[in-house]
Formats: sequence, structure tokens, C-alpha cells
Amino acid sequence: MNRTRTQLRAVLACSGWIALAVTLLPGGALLRWIPVLLFVTFGPGLALLHPQPGVPRPGARLELFALAAPLSWSLATLAATALFLVRGFSATVFLISLAAFCTVAALLPGLPLPAALRGAGDEPDEPVDAVGAGAAGAGSGTGGEP
Amino acid sequence: MAQHEMSAPGGAHRTLTRERSQRLPVSPARLLTWLPLPVGAALWAWSLPRIVFRDMDDFGLLDRFPIAFYASLAVLTVGFIASLRRAGTAPWWPLTYSLGMLFALKAPTALLYDTVRYAWASKHDAVIARLLTEGTVHPHHALNGGMSAYDQWPGFFSLNAALIRAFGVHGAAVYTNWAPVIYGALMLPILVVIYRTFTDDWRLVWTAVWIFQLANWVGQDYLSPQGFAYVLFLAVFAVVLRHFVRPGTAGRLRDRDALDPAAAPVPPATTWRQRALGVVLLAPLIAAINSAHQLTPVMLCVTLFAFCLTRRYRNIGLFVVAVVIMGVWDLTMGRPLFVDTMKTLSGQLGDLLSNAKPGIGGAPTGEGAELVGMVNIIMVVALGVLAVAAVLLRRRLARSALPLLLAAIAPAPLLAVNNYGGEMVFRVYLFGLPGAAFFAAAALVPSAAYAGTARRIAQRAMVVALPAGALVLLAGFLPSYYGKESMQYAPPQEVAFVKRAYDRAPTGALVMAATGSFPDAYYHYNHYDHWFFTEQDAAANRKLLKDPGDYLAGGIPDGCPAFIILTPTQRDAVQGEGYLPTGGYDRLVAELKQSPHFKIVENTRHGLLLEHLPLPTKPEPLPPDVEP
Repeated sequence: MNRTRTQLRAVLACSGWIALAVTLLPGGALLRWIPVLLFVTFGPGLALLHPQPGVPRPGARLELFALAAPLSWSLATLAATALFLVRGFSATVFLISLAAFCTVAALLPGLPLPAALRGAGDEPDEPVDAVGAGAAGAGSGTGGEP
Repeated sequence: MAQHEMSAPGGAHRTLTRERSQRLPVSPARLLTWLPLPVGAALWAWSLPRIVFRDMDDFGLLDRFPIAFYASLAVLTVGFIASLRRAGTAPWWPLTYSLGMLFALKAPTALLYDTVRYAWASKHDAVIARLLTEGTVHPHHALNGGMSAYDQWPGFFSLNAALIRAFGVHGAAVYTNWAPVIYGALMLPILVVIYRTFTDDWRLVWTAVWIFQLANWVGQDYLSPQGFAYVLFLAVFAVVLRHFVRPGTAGRLRDRDALDPAAAPVPPATTWRQRALGVVLLAPLIAAINSAHQLTPVMLCVTLFAFCLTRRYRNIGLFVVAVVIMGVWDLTMGRPLFVDTMKTLSGQLGDLLSNAKPGIGGAPTGEGAELVGMVNIIMVVALGVLAVAAVLLRRRLARSALPLLLAAIAPAPLLAVNNYGGEMVFRVYLFGLPGAAFFAAAALVPSAAYAGTARRIAQRAMVVALPAGALVLLAGFLPSYYGKESMQYAPPQEVAFVKRAYDRAPTGALVMAATGSFPDAYYHYNHYDHWFFTEQDAAANRKLLKDPGDYLAGGIPDGCPAFIILTPTQRDAVQGEGYLPTGGYDRLVAELKQSPHFKIVENTRHGLLLEHLPLPTKPEPLPPDVEP
């Protein structure tokens, strides 16, 4: 588990630099735009959210996947907008800023989504909630078997 | 199964089990789960090259889709419904069908069209092109036609400009038509997270996702700031619902006996510190929404306010942060438009009927446009009736999913504030849709946890109601989304004509057109002034039709070179939006061709270019020996 996690961190840390490297390929080439698109859409978000300490709650993986793209797009949007506002935009600077962010974020512990980890939701002031939290944590939803 | 075999004591039992296992993949229920996928895909693939999109008429793509295309959608719907039987244990089947339906519905235009679909998408391409040319934005410079708003909310365009440069392509046109598929695919897991927060019944989750896809016919999922910001809006929505439950507020909502059998207990509560961290996580999302679009932050704030009405999600701090970020952006980058909007607000405030009116023209003309208008209303009513039925019949579910219900209603008051260029009614619908789709699904998918007679009745009702509901929504989606398609597609020759026409006009010229809904209408838009002359009220258009030549010549500033571009797409748009009465556009074109104020520069079936001839207002008398 730890080895896989370390490998994933390494991939995320390198992803931006790979995206930057492929911009040396001819414009519009598949091997250029696909890695760039994947990096800009998922890289920064996954780097921020993925390396979670502790045991993830069921459903946390789906949530991670769901939020990685919007979060990545947001960071990319803010980076690109800031660069245009200061008249400093170039694709290289844009990708370097995201790649550096990604590398740093991948090396740090992931940003813990509050309810994403088992053990979240202990509510000493309301015992019934703790029971309920357990039920929710099990994610046992009986599914929809009719 | 292998374990079972090994533990079976006798050889006969083992044989029987093997036989059964061999039979299983082709049992009717299993067959109905997987077979519709290849059948639907084959029908769809067969029909794709047979979609005759180049000569669309009054009904857009509706009468251009082959029967096999409709059959493929129906087959996918059957497969989806069958896959719900095992939604809890095999979620990849409803997931595959949902993605399949998204692709089947939205990909044909991306695969077939050889130009950018939808005039507004090409407008956004023009904004990106200008940003790349100038290397910065000028938020406080006035540009004709409200185009300065794009410099005031440049986030989405900046991202696309960055992608274009990083991809090494010339413009956004190469990927523009794929935006609906990409947005749809990214929204899907977010919707699952949202719905999963309120129900443990995976059938309900997937049905809500399915209904959302079919009810999302308002066409805002093209390459646009609002389509982009909507994905981010849903992400904020999901994070708040999952991670912003305040401690000690769940009460009986975690007590199984008090919940609807399908309801999920309230998510675990979070501490103040955890929620503060959540705000830090959401801040870039909220900031990006604000950098990209004017209306989405308002919708976000009203939704967060609606959440605050429940004890569970009373996160005043998050609401304040969202309002502050919006205020800072509106008062700095977006100040010119913000101030203008505030000035006009008093005229529209409280004028509910006018603000709720779709579009800015009159009633759409033509059978196709009338059909679309009627189907739109039926779709809204059908969704509303289903959602209200679920709220009334499943009150326990409505209580536990109250935040979704409030979020569905929250955007409605904005109808009393502003008409947003005739778009407000569609945007209110769009932002209320995540909640409405959930409750509509709850009306079609009764709980699986009933017992005895109630369970039988529920199952029978679902057998009839769910397929019927899904097919009705599918039947409504197609006219609503593709019924006006003739104004969304322009052949490459028309696009080339428009660019040629603009290139003929000198910088600073006034370029006129019947409407701005034609491809590349905003090509090099900062070089020209624009006048889209039928985009006005009906009385002014009646005046225009009396003598188009005089009317238009009278509006041209002295000494300003002026051109009129008229294309087939404009004819469809003028009719579809109801700017002119039936036959009005053809009459207008005929009269302009005869007008002494204009000369014909180019006239092909892909477009008519007229140049203004400055005539003296009072013709000088001719000498008697000259023939007039």
C-alpha cells in the first residue's frame, strides 16, 4: 500500500514536468496535447487531495476523483488569469507554475477532506451521532437490490 | 462461485453448479443488463454517418437523425433500467450506460460537424484569440456590444488560452465541439457524490444522474464560461454537503427508524477547524468561479444561503467568504458591468413576468421553433410534477434531503431581480436542476426496503413508471437540445464567407447583421463596431421592416464605412428567436438588395455582403439634359 502510494506521489510530482517536456513536440501532436490536458485537468487536484494519511472512508476515492478535476481547473484558471493580468503569460511559465505546485503538493501530506477519513464525525455531545457516523462510515448502503 | 464448487460435497452438485454458472451470463436479467450496450453502440455507430446534418430544416436534427439513432437511445435506456437491478453491487453498469448515453447524445455533433457548433462558441473562440494576441485584458476599456465583460471575467478564457498555447494549436476550434461531452463526464462523478450524500439506494443515485442528463437540455454546456463555472459550482455544492455538517445538528436524521428506507444518514459532522480547512480548499474553486462568470457566483451565494437555512449546514463563515470573494471581484475587475447592472436593476426589480420571459425577441416562428418552445414547457412541468410528487409522498426523504430541496428552490427568487438578457429563466432552471432531478428520481424509484404488499406495489409502479419517465424525458430532450440545430451549424463556406467579409471591412467600420447568432460574428471584434439590428423589441422591428434600407442607413454614423453581412444561419436564428415575423427575414433581404443605400459586394448561397453607399440626404437636382 505504502509503496503504491509512494509511486503515485512520484508520478504526480513528475507529471507537470512531463507535460512541460512534451510541449517540445510539434504543435497539436497527440503525444503533446493528451499529457498536457490530463495534467492540467487532474494533476494539481490529485496532488493536493490524494496522499491521504490514515484509512480512507468508503466513497472517498470516488470523491477524490470527482473533485480532482474541478480543483485542478480552478488552480489552472487562477494561474493563467494572474499571468495574463501581469502580462507575463507564456505556456512555459504557466506549466512551470502548475508543475512546481504539483511537485510540492505531492511531497506534502494530502489536504484532508474533513469527512473523508474513518473516525471523522465523533460528536461527543450527541451519542446518537456517533452511532450514525459508524453507520455512514460503513457506507453499507444496502445498495439497491430490489 | 469457485469457493462454492470446492465446498460442494458431491460430484452431481458440482456439475449442477457448473451448469448453472454457465447458464448465468445468458439468464434474461443478465442478458438485459449487458446486451443493450453492444446493440445500442452498434445502432448508434451505424446511424452516425447517416445523419444528414448539412441541409437541416425547420426541425433541426430531429428529422435528420435516422430511426436507428433513436432506436440506439431507446436500447441504451432499456439497458440502463435493467442495470439498476444490481446497481448496489455492480455500479459500473449504470455508470457505463450513463457515460454511454452522454456520448450517444452529445458526441454526434462533435464527430460530424466540420465547423464550430453554435455561434456563441465561436464568439468565445474570438475572445480567446484576442486575449492571446494582446497578451492581457483591459477590464476598464469600453468595447462595443458588451464585449468588455469578457475582459472583466477572463478566467475561463485565460485557461483556454493557456491550453491552446500548451497544446500548440491555432485556436479553441479544434476542441470546442467536445465541450458538452467533457463537461458531462466531469459532472457525472460529482453528481454521484451529491446524491450519495442523501441516499443509500444506488438505484436512486443513478436514476437521478440519468434524469439530470436528460433534463439538462438548456444548452449551456458548450465551450462557455457558464458551462465551465457550473462544473466548479457543483464541486463546491458537493464538498459543502459532504464536509460541512455542523456537530450536534443531525438529531434523528441518523436514526434509521426516522428516515425514509432509501435515505442515507447525515454525513459525519466536522469540527470548526476542519470546516475552516474546507473553506481553504473551496477558496480557489470559488475564486475561479468568480474569475470566469458573472451569474454563477450569485447562484452559488444564494445556494449557500439556502443551505444556511438548515441547522445542519448553517455555515455563515463559508457564505460570508463566498460573498466577499464575489464582492471583491465585482468591485475591482468587474466594476463597469457591475455598476451598469445595478443602475438597470431598479427597472427590472419585481417585474417577474418580464424577467421570466425567455429570450428578448417575440414568439419563435416556424413549426420547429414552436415545437421546441412547447416541449421545453412540457419538460419543465414534467420534472416539476415528479419532484413535487416525491416531496409530498416521501416526506421523510424530503426532510433528510432538505438541503437539496432548498437548493432546487433557491435560484427562483432571482427571477424577480433581473432578466439576464432573456436567459434568467433558463439559468434558474439549470441551477435548480441537481435538486429537482433527485426528487424526480425519488418519484420514479420507490424504496426497495418496503415489505409485503407495499414492496410489491412499489416494484410494479417502478416497472411501469421508470421506463415511461425515462423515455418521456428522452423524447423531450431531443427537440429541446437539437430542435433548433439549423441555427447552430454553419457550413465551412459560410464561415469562410464571414471571415472574407470582415477582412474587406476597414478597421473602425460598422458591421451590421440581422443578429449576432452566426459563426464568427465576433471575428476580430475589437477592430469593428457592431449593430445586430433585429435584436430589439417588436415595435422597432416593425419600423425596420417598413423600409429596411432607410432604417439602417439612418443609423450609420456620418463618414463611417459600413457593411451588412447576411447569412443563412442568421435567417434560422431570426426565425428561431422570434425577432421577425414569418417571412420577415426574406423580405428584409430582398429590400436591402434593392436599396439605393447599399451595393452588393458578394452574393452567394452562403451569404450576402452589402456595402453602405453614403448618399446625400437631399439629392441634388439633375441638369435637364441628363437622363435620370
